[in-house]
Amino acid sequence: MSKPSPEVYEEGKGMDAHNSVMRDIRSRNDSTYDPREPTRVWLDEDNTPDGVYQSLTIILNTGGCRWARAGGCTMCGYVAESVEGGTVAHEDLMAQIQHCLDHEAENSDEQSGLIKIYTSGSFLDEREVPAETRQAIAETFADRERIVVESLPDFVDEETVGDFVDVGLETDVAVGLETATDRVRHDCVNKYFDFADFEAASEAAQAAGAGVKAYLLMKPPFLSEAEAVEDMKRSVRRCAAVDGCHTVSMNPCNVQRYTMVEELYHDGGYRPPWLWSVAEVLESTADEDVIVVSDPVGHGSDRGPHNCGECDDKVQRAIKDFDLRQDPAVFEQVSCECEATWDAVIERERSYSLPLAR
Amino acid sequence: MTDYFEVHERDSAARVGELRLVDSVTTPALVDDVDTETPGNCRHVLDDAGSRWSTERDAPDGDESLLTVLPHRGLPAGTPDEVAEAFAVDYPDVTFPSAAVISPDTATDHSSDAYVLAGAPGYVGHASAFVDAVTTVRERIPADTALYLPGVATPRNVATLVYAGVDLVDPDRAVVRGTEGRYLTTDEAYFLEDLDELPCACPACQQPREEFDRQDCVEHNVNALAAELRRVRRRIRDGRLRDYIEGQARQDNWLTATFRRLDQQYSYLEERTPLIRRADLSAASDDSLRRVEIQRFAERVTDRYVPRFDDRPLVLVPCSARKPYSDSQSHKQYHDAIKWRAHVVSMTSPIGVVPQELELTYPAQHYDSVVTGNWTATEIEFVSRVLERYLEGTDYPEIIAHVPGEGYRDICERVADSLGQEFTYTVTDHPTTADSLGNLAAELEGWDRYPKREREHNTIRAVADYQFGEGAGDELFDDLSTQGRYPQLRADDADGEQLAALAQQYGVLSLTTVGARRWVESDVPTKTVEIEPFVPHGSVLAPGITDASDDIRVGDDVVIQGDAAFGVGRAQMSGPEMQSSTRGIAVQMRHVDEQ
Ligand code: SF4
Ligand SMILES: [Zn+2]
Ligand SMILES: [Zn+2]
Repeated sequence: MSKPSPEVYEEGKGMDAHNSVMRDIRSRNDSTYDPREPTRVWLDEDNTPDGVYQSLTIILNTGGCRWARAGGCTMCGYVAESVEGGTVAHEDLMAQIQHCLDHEAENSDEQSGLIKIYTSGSFLDEREVPAETRQAIAETFADRERIVVESLPDFVDEETVGDFVDVGLETDVAVGLETATDRVRHDCVNKYFDFADFEAASEAAQAAGAGVKAYLLMKPPFLSEAEAVEDMKRSVRRCAAVDGCHTVSMNPCNVQRYTMVEELYHDGGYRPPWLWSVAEVLESTADEDVIVVSDPVGHGSDRGPHNCGECDDKVQRAIKDFDLRQDPAVFEQVSCECEATWDAVIERERSYSLPLAR
Repeated sequence: MTDYFEVHERDSAARVGELRLVDSVTTPALVDDVDTETPGNCRHVLDDAGSRWSTERDAPDGDESLLTVLPHRGLPAGTPDEVAEAFAVDYPDVTFPSAAVISPDTATDHSSDAYVLAGAPGYVGHASAFVDAVTTVRERIPADTALYLPGVATPRNVATLVYAGVDLVDPDRAVVRGTEGRYLTTDEAYFLEDLDELPCACPACQQPREEFDRQDCVEHNVNALAAELRRVRRRIRDGRLRDYIEGQARQDNWLTATFRRLDQQYSYLEERTPLIRRADLSAASDDSLRRVEIQRFAERVTDRYVPRFDDRPLVLVPCSARKPYSDSQSHKQYHDAIKWRAHVVSMTSPIGVVPQELELTYPAQHYDSVVTGNWTATEIEFVSRVLERYLEGTDYPEIIAHVPGEGYRDICERVADSLGQEFTYTVTDHPTTADSLGNLAAELEGWDRYPKREREHNTIRAVADYQFGEGAGDELFDDLSTQGRYPQLRADDADGEQLAALAQQYGVLSLTTVGARRWVESDVPTKTVEIEPFVPHGSVLAPGITDASDDIRVGDDVVIQGDAAFGVGRAQMSGPEMQSSTRGIAVQMRHVDEQ
């Protein structure tokens, strides 16, 4: 991760404050987890450059994000789902993988063509997942078609990505870019790398024969609904222009436990984005030369992206439909009276008057 | 330095002011973005230069016809202090009308004309968070700047927002609620589909119910909000917003909780509450007892007032509906029995106790209460406490309670019990029956009458104590001679030089410069306004003031001192407001000596 060098003192001040607050908030969480079980695992369907695949998504418990231990991102509660103390041993990580394979076998007749491995940090960081483990996991899934592994830009290189490419997997590195706007990533999200680092990582991935999938975050704290929508439209377009970045996963922020976002939410200072905002971004960037998908987690609940309550499921279905077909026409078929409220919020909400509606 | 906002009238924390743009805007006002289309009556004067969370912003050029919101980092409710401080924005000192976005944690004087309270939607609806935020911010920004609460105003809450000290609101919430099918009135947020008729006469509502849709609802909501603001402005000008709030705030519990919490922020309200008012005060509920005017009167009667008649019997009598009490039929009858042989103190809810010398003094002749004959427990508690504290500082040889049964008698017995003092009760049935009056007269048998001069002198001195502070009656008016006929009294010194006149309408003293010099020379702390070296005629404006005493309240007599002039006048602002203001009339001059 790059240091917050160029833009100054003020930024350093903001980061210190965010980190100190987040450390404090996270310290209230005293849960611990079994190092032999993954954080989460599930089966789904995913759109890739080669078409739609059944996917096995694994959230590997690797001992938690180093950045989160320093304080970390304002919306991210993943550190809460980590083991006590730090590094997870090779054997334990492999036990987690076995657990996931068992899950797949129990719940599906076929093998998933696509494997997605996330950690609460960087799968490619050898302090988190040793090279030995990484290679063993690559072997385990060598018979699948595609694999996605999550990493911060710093750890993407020939060697790390190469382990997967070399066993014949179509490999993508998932990067939690959050936004293409450095200022928003730094000040609102408190994540410290620059868009230029993402571009460099994409280049490195491409050189190693892999691709990049950018993860974007819609509506971090402190942005109005309109600013959040604009930030996402701009971010999708900038990602689309990066060679090697073929997919963007744009995900609305939800309120996770033990985060600053939760503090704001609790005091009436944060509302997750409207599903209409998600639809708006997907619709308006549909012509970009990149796959754009979104998975609104917790849709329809207060803590997740939501509309009026009447139309949430309908709009969520349209979004999922768009994910698979990339056809903006899916949004023409959904409408609700609450669009007028969303219009008013987009027009009127300011960073000093949020949230204007619940 | 505030160039584009001025406060013209004050009613406690609420003000009527003027946003001095090319076309001036009277506040409290409904303001909206210059580019936003809003149905109804809004002033489109806000120009937002944008958020610095998403991008760096250039300094705006500004425009004399608009209030430019300077580039900002809005902090939502719940932002941790540390983060608020780390991201605090430095605002440029600009020459055009400007507003700075602030939070309770970061609020300070940014030389702007207006301040935007970020995160307001998180405060509104929660009485303690709201009162904390607004009072903190109001105390930290100069008095002569406008406070804008974005995104929260509704027809129902806006009177209370203004009462707390807010000057600018926008139609955003009213619009959003309209799009949600909520029909807002000053008493409710109705579901539109539940209304079979529209309880409103605004233009948007002049159509068949079936045709009235959510777009119309938006328009109605904005109209209702604008109309409520017109009412609020009228109430402020009349000095009667509080009376309205006590009723209006009942429409939503958080609003009632808000004005009660504000009452607990006594010093915030006290500093902003005038000493005297033209308007009558309506006491219709127990909440009226918490009003600054009531509390202040009780406090001054028990702390500052000196009982100069306590060498004779005290007669406690019930108050009368007619004011001043001495003009009422009942009090004339008591007087005929007492004949200046005893000191008369009236017992009353909501004021507490009113010694005869202070019967003119605001609010003693300016209140109107709901008379049912039944006292609430709170009223009994309040009046008992005031009476007890009053008696603790006195030494009457005898206490005669000439009071009726309900309430009054309970209070007297309670206090007599608590003080271990014997009261004599003279009323049988009703205070004005011949028997009762006969008892009263008989009880005073043997006491001589005090002369008119003593009554008049004691009145001047009692008012002086009440108004200027402990000891003022004796120190300023030791060699007193009174002229005129009560209640139109003039206070002269022994040589016939006038010191003051009793302003009959408010029961306070208006000093002459001679009287004012005595105040300066006395040990009684003087309420002083220090001014630049000029001779003020008519009025003193805030920019001419170099310092002012903290305890000056609107309506106070104040001494004006500068290298070129010595004078006396009536304060139009509080002392702290004089100190922080750069605009507006601070003192209305009465007399001035060049020097
Ligand atoms: S978002 Fe990623 S980098 Fe940020 S705290 Fe969470 S796991 Fe760590
Ligand atoms: Zn809806
Ligand atoms: Zn109407």
